Formats: sequence, structure tokens, C-alpha cells
Amino acid sequence: MTVTVTPETFSLVSFDGGEIKSVVEDLLPAIGFAAGFDVRIEVDETTPLGRAVVTSYDNPVVIEVESGALEDPKKPRFVSRTGSADVLGRLLFRVRDRLDPSFGEPPPDADLSLQLSVAWDVYSIGRLVRLGFRHHDNRQRRLYHFRNRHGFTDAADEAFERLWTGDDLTWNDIVSLSDKAAAVAA
Amino acid sequence: MRKIFPADLLARDERFTRLTTEQRFNDPRSAGGRAGSRGVTKLTPARPDASDAARNLMHGIFVGEVQALEGAGRTCWDFETGNGPDDTPFALKLDMARQCWDEARHTEISCKLMDWMGTELGEFSESTFLYEAACNPDPVLRLTGVNRALEGLAIDVFNTMKEFGDVAGDPVLEFCEDWMLADEVTHVKMGSDWLRRLTEHDKDRRERALEFQRVVDKLFSLGGFRGEDDDSPIRLARRFRELAGFDEAEMDDLAEISREAKADAVRMRERLAAQANA
Repeated sequence: MTVTVTPETFSLVSFDGGEIKSVVEDLLPAIGFAAGFDVRIEVDETTPLGRAVVTSYDNPVVIEVESGALEDPKKPRFVSRTGSADVLGRLLFRVRDRLDPSFGEPPPDADLSLQLSVAWDVYSIGRLVRLGFRHHDNRQRRLYHFRNRHGFTDAADEAFERLWTGDDLTWNDIVSLSDKAAAVAA
Repeated sequence: MRKIFPADLLARDERFTRLTTEQRFNDPRSAGGRAGSRGVTKLTPARPDASDAARNLMHGIFVGEVQALEGAGRTCWDFETGNGPDDTPFALKLDMARQCWDEARHTEISCKLMDWMGTELGEFSESTFLYEAACNPDPVLRLTGVNRALEGLAIDVFNTMKEFGDVAGDPVLEFCEDWMLADEVTHVKMGSDWLRRLTEHDKDRRERALEFQRVVDKLFSLGGFRGEDDDSPIRLARRFRELAGFDEAEMDDLAEISREAKADAVRMRERLAAQANA
């Protein structure tokens, strides 16, 4: 299992590549990746924005992340360990789901609607929190994200609960829960 | 009790993390980044990062309310009551006391909204430049800096958040922001009224006060954060500002100040980036 972080040294931010690497090394076995699985984290330090995407699902998996996604909002231009685990763990769960034949076949990330993307994120972060990777009030934060995309309704909250507590959901389960919640709000 | 209380002595518990103005502005990164094709846009639910951007802004509103409470409270205390040139009329202090009551209520509302949105108190840093603007030794400058510039910004922020709640279908956010917005219009109107009354026979003082307001407005445009361009997350709320005593020329001036602040910020980031890469 090899984790590489680029750039090796940062000039615009005070990130420690070794710390980011150690976060990923903690996440990989916890999420269930086998030995021999390699990950490359490519950090764009030129922007404080916070987008993070998987650009390759092959081995090595490549994650491109803007520096704001890994940053401590209380200490600008420094890494937040729990925040990094939250962002990278969510994406690594997405990788694991895609590599699991029993999960189903979600469309490419670029074709995912915001609703489905947020629903999948809830499922991922729920599992991540149960593994012990907590970052502030993840549950309420994700509930707020989910409500913004699926409506502020009881049906949305029920769907959220299923996603948040789920462990063996399939892609079809996620689509079904998201669609039902959104239909009530429409 | 001492008068003119410095910002670094404000009472905060261990949950709060203070960020200096230098730390906030000395960031060489630019929103567009190396791709250059994606910047910040208006805060609407259509933005993929909308929920987190709103959560972050809500925390900024919360610390702003705390500091507005502290600033209005200081204005009740820092000046002698009277009608002399260095005094503060009792009626002005009464307005500030009423504002304290409003800001305390806003602080509580903001705490509950943060719970609602999944934001922990202290999850983000606090800058105290709102309170610092409330430390001006001239009560007229203090009122223009705080009530007209900063509470004016609050009008823009609350209006943007109210629209966000409306479009997202969030009844709690929309309702709360609408009520706080109504109070902010009153606070700005107080600033406009007292500026006119206290400088009626002193044009130099009025000009100094308006110049101070322009300085604070530029500082709080935060590199184009508030303005009328497509990439301004917070939009100038012209209708509500009109209700609060701003005329068209002042609002045009404010839009221009925001563009200048954005251009200044770009130049500053380029300089800092060049230094970092040297």
C-alpha cells in the first residue's frame, strides 16, 4: 500500500505532506482496502477553494483536491487532520463502493446529479463516523446538506436516517431513497 | 470600568479562535487557482458547495452579532451624556441600548441557526475587525463605521441568506433571516439619522465620518465578497438599503468600492504568490 502526496513541498500553504499521507494510511485499512492498493493525492495549493474529486479509479487511485478542502478553517493554510479524513475518507468510500460488484453501477461522477451525489456522501460519511473518523457535527451537517437537496420534509429526514445508518446499501437503494425524498418535496 | 475597550481583551472562551486581519488578508492563493476557470459565484443553492458556504457564513454572522452587541454596548458607556461636541445625546444611547437588545436576540437566533445547519460554535475562526471599527473615539465616526457600513453589510448578508433559504425551501433560515434583516434596516437608519443630526452644523465632521465609512466599506468588501458583479457571493441589497436611508449615489459608490477592493485583492495575492514562489 503506497500513498504519495504531491507536491512534495508546499510554497503557498503550510501543509505537511507527511500528515496528509498518514491520514490516508489510517483510512485505507479501516475502509477495507487490500494491501497493494496505491493512492496518489494531488493537492492544488494555488486556490483556497475546497473541491475534491477522484480522477482515476484504477490502481493507483488518484484524488485531486484543492487546498481549502484539507485546510483548518481556524488556522488558514494549515492542514486539518480530521477535516482531511472527512474529505478523503468520503472519496475513498466512493472508490470502495465502485470497486464492489455487489454495489451496482453508479454513473460516472461527472454525470451524478447533486441530489444523488449528496445522498451517496451521507452513506459514506455515516460509515466513516462509525469507524471513528469524526469531524465536528458531521451528522447535522450532512442532514442539512441532504435537506437542501431533497427538501425540508419528514420524508427527507427518514431517507437520511436510512442512508446515515446503512452499511450494506446498493446504488439502487441510494437512488430509491433519494428519489422518494425528492418526490415528496416536489 | 474602563472606556474604549481594546479588541484583544474581549471576553471569549476556549471555543473561539481569533484570526488577525493580517492573517486573513495575507493569503497568496486566488479563488480561480491554477485552473483559472472556476471562481466564486453568488451564494445560491445551485452551487455544489452551497450548504457549506452557508454554514461558514452563518458562523461569520454569529461572531458579527456578538461584536455588534459589544460595540453598541460600548457606545452607551464610552461617552458622556450630553449635547456638547464630545458628548453623546441620551436619545442616541437609548437607540444603542435598543440595538444591544436586538443584537443579543440575533446572537441567540444565530446559535440556533448554527445548530440547525450543523455548525459548531467555534468551528470557524473569528476576526474582530467589526468590533475594531466600533472603537473609534468619535461617536459620529463610530456610528457611520458600524451602523452605516457594517450594519449595511449585514443587510446585504441577511438578504442573501433569506433568498438562499427561500430558494432551498428552508423555512427556518428564511424566517429567521427575514426578522433579523428588519432589525438591521432599523440599525442602519439609526446611523443615517444620527449622522445627519450630529453633523448638521459641522460639515468637516460629516465628511470625516463618511470617509471613515468608505474605509470600512472597502475593508468589508473583502476583495469583492460583497458587490454587484457575477462573482460576488453577497449582493448589494439596494431596496433595503434605500429603506435604511442610503441614496442611489451612495449605493453606486459602494458598488465601485467593491470593485476596487476586488482589484486590490487580486494585486495583493499576485504579489504574495510571487514572494512565496521566489
